[in-house]
Amino acid sequence: MNVHGIGILFSGGRGILSFENVLKDGWQRPAEYDIPHINKKTLAYIVKPEYIEDKVLLKKMRRADKFSKMAVIAASDAIKDSGLDIEKNRIGVILSTAFGAHQTSFDFLDDIIDYGEVGVSPITFSNSVHNAAASYIACALDITGPTLTVTRFFFSFQSALQLAQTWINDNCCDHVLVGAVDVCGEVMRYVFDKKSGSSADGKIRPFNFSAPSNPVPGEGSVFFLVSGRSAENAYCRIADIDFNRNPESWELPDIDIIDADGMVDGKAYLKALSLKVPAAAYSPLFGSTMTGSAFNCAAGALMIKKQMQYATPVIDNSEGLNLADVSRPAKIDLIRSIGYNCLAENVIVHLLRST
Amino acid sequence: MKNTGVLITGLGVISAAGTGISATLDSFRQRQRNAGPVSIFNTSLTCPVFEVKQIPDEFIIGKNRTLSLALCAVDAALKDAALGDLTKLRVGVCIGTTVASQLNDLEFYKSYRDTGDAPMEVADRYLKSNVAEFIARKTKARGPALTVVNACSSGTDAIGAAFSWLKNGLCDIAIAGGADELNLVPLCGFSSLGIVNQGLCAPFDRDRKGLNLGEGAGVLILERADSAKSRNIYSDICVMGYGASADAYHLTAPKPDGAGLEASIIKALSEAGIKPSEISFVNAHGTGTTDNDLVEGKVLGRIFGNDIKMLSTKGFTGHTLGAAGGLESAFTAAGLREGWIPASIGFKNKDDSIPVMPVMKETKINGRFALSTSLAFGGNNAALLLGRL
Repeated sequence: MNVHGIGILFSGGRGILSFENVLKDGWQRPAEYDIPHINKKTLAYIVKPEYIEDKVLLKKMRRADKFSKMAVIAASDAIKDSGLDIEKNRIGVILSTAFGAHQTSFDFLDDIIDYGEVGVSPITFSNSVHNAAASYIACALDITGPTLTVTRFFFSFQSALQLAQTWINDNCCDHVLVGAVDVCGEVMRYVFDKKSGSSADGKIRPFNFSAPSNPVPGEGSVFFLVSGRSAENAYCRIADIDFNRNPESWELPDIDIIDADGMVDGKAYLKALSLKVPAAAYSPLFGSTMTGSAFNCAAGALMIKKQMQYATPVIDNSEGLNLADVSRPAKIDLIRSIGYNCLAENVIVHLLRST
Repeated sequence: MKNTGVLITGLGVISAAGTGISATLDSFRQRQRNAGPVSIFNTSLTCPVFEVKQIPDEFIIGKNRTLSLALCAVDAALKDAALGDLTKLRVGVCIGTTVASQLNDLEFYKSYRDTGDAPMEVADRYLKSNVAEFIARKTKARGPALTVVNACSSGTDAIGAAFSWLKNGLCDIAIAGGADELNLVPLCGFSSLGIVNQGLCAPFDRDRKGLNLGEGAGVLILERADSAKSRNIYSDICVMGYGASADAYHLTAPKPDGAGLEASIIKALSEAGIKPSEISFVNAHGTGTTDNDLVEGKVLGRIFGNDIKMLSTKGFTGHTLGAAGGLESAFTAAGLREGWIPASIGFKNKDDSIPVMPVMKETKINGRFALSTSLAFGGNNAALLLGRL
């Protein structure tokens, strides 16, 4: 299936151009955010409020939470970016998320604790449900095709892509908006801090496998508009989504992008990387998030479309790997986006130049 | 009729209506409604619920009730399908849920709020509780795995996704369905929406006053016909079509004209290549809420005519949220296989604004095709069409 449009919202801004600029400019120190209950500040890649101000698109969503707003903006931008006219009943939505609208879930728990079981807000409850965001997308963009929300922690996005491929093959839809959304609220930052500690300088070191690298929590949303139709003006083609294949059986690409972001022992990636292939990891630009694969796939799609290699933003190369250490024009026909989870299970998304 | 080549070779269920298909059908026959006050957690809410009174010990997974329910249903379904070691087979797992996917542990959060220190074992437990991943690891299924979190249509949508995997050759066998535990958070949430009945639910009844929450798991083993043949397994029940559509209307209310549900049903019929008149019965979503039953009843009347045999089994199970589609698909398959459907328990008086009427007694089924429908929060609609070869 071909990627026709990308919508993206992250700590560096809104839209694919913002993302491209950040890929060119390289790493920037993330901002500090309070965790009031433990009287501590930690670094995090948080989407600024001004990036989710869209009076037209969100005018009927005053009561929606950040999670849903981020989802709607990225989904809408993916369609706009494609420049395609979409038949509203022939487009599906698959939203993937690791944690859903957990901050709103905690708001609802606040209600239970503060006001009792009969004093809770139905609006907060409605917005805390995992599939509220996809529903807002359908309402805001008037989409009446199938709308699905899925979750699988580290492999949420890749699993959603795989399902989108089957929907297109089955002629269930002409297009699918497939994406990933996760927020990083106060409680999530606390959990990150308590379980993994904090990166003192705010740098994620994806290629330092010799010592546990501290994650820096992130958030955002990415949506791809995909279809089985003509490749004209497409970013790239998503050829295969392979789960748990032996890395040695993989075809060598022009660039490998790994999802390493400090949350998983990076040594697993050593099995998948070849010295013949330059490797990159862009998590230092958007933060540690279980749906980071979506951001890395966006980077890969952009690189294929622009025929441009973007330098991996943090070079701390403990294993002497072949890293994509400079940004330069390059002939790129195939990129592998590689993800591992805590159990060393893997998934690879093959991004191919559209022909 | 089009043959999709996807058979149902196993069924596994657990709910307040019983553990296993046989016990459940007995409850249906005896019109048992095993509802009562909440006993598995403390609450001031007094509405009746449909709890599972006893999960067999061998399936209890620590404090994770949803995983325990799921495992119980999966085990039964695998046994029903004569499946043992899955390591050499291409098996996918697709399970719908709501509660298991949410990081909403009240004690964890209260501890964080009160002391700035929350027990990390709760977070660790949560990170091991993705239902599809858990089941895949437990059963050593190595195919695709996905947890669907589409509110009340999750179970049906999970079966739809697994159906798609099988048609596309991503796996040969799929463990698919839904699982959800009774939990304080949705109980408070649904109560706040004013749709929880203080008595027993009465789907499609003139005097219906809302839903009762329940819990359980319903799992189907879907299998490509060639795979079943290679294992010398025969089943004459199959998945023939699936359709899903969004209302694009409202976060909690169904679109009054039912266009989304109608589109889902039409898609499922179209994929199956059969006419509405060939549907022998519909296992409706039928929550017992004013809006859901009105919209659904109108759509069913419009598509199938006012005399369609239809029922809601939620009078026996309560609304099991993410498990509902899994349970009701299993009941639909059982209805086709056994040749009868139970009374739509709780229904007494026809609502004149609803053109169709659920069956009031155990009813013989002669046809070969049946439909299970689901409507969900956010305007998701899903329909699953099952057939008997």
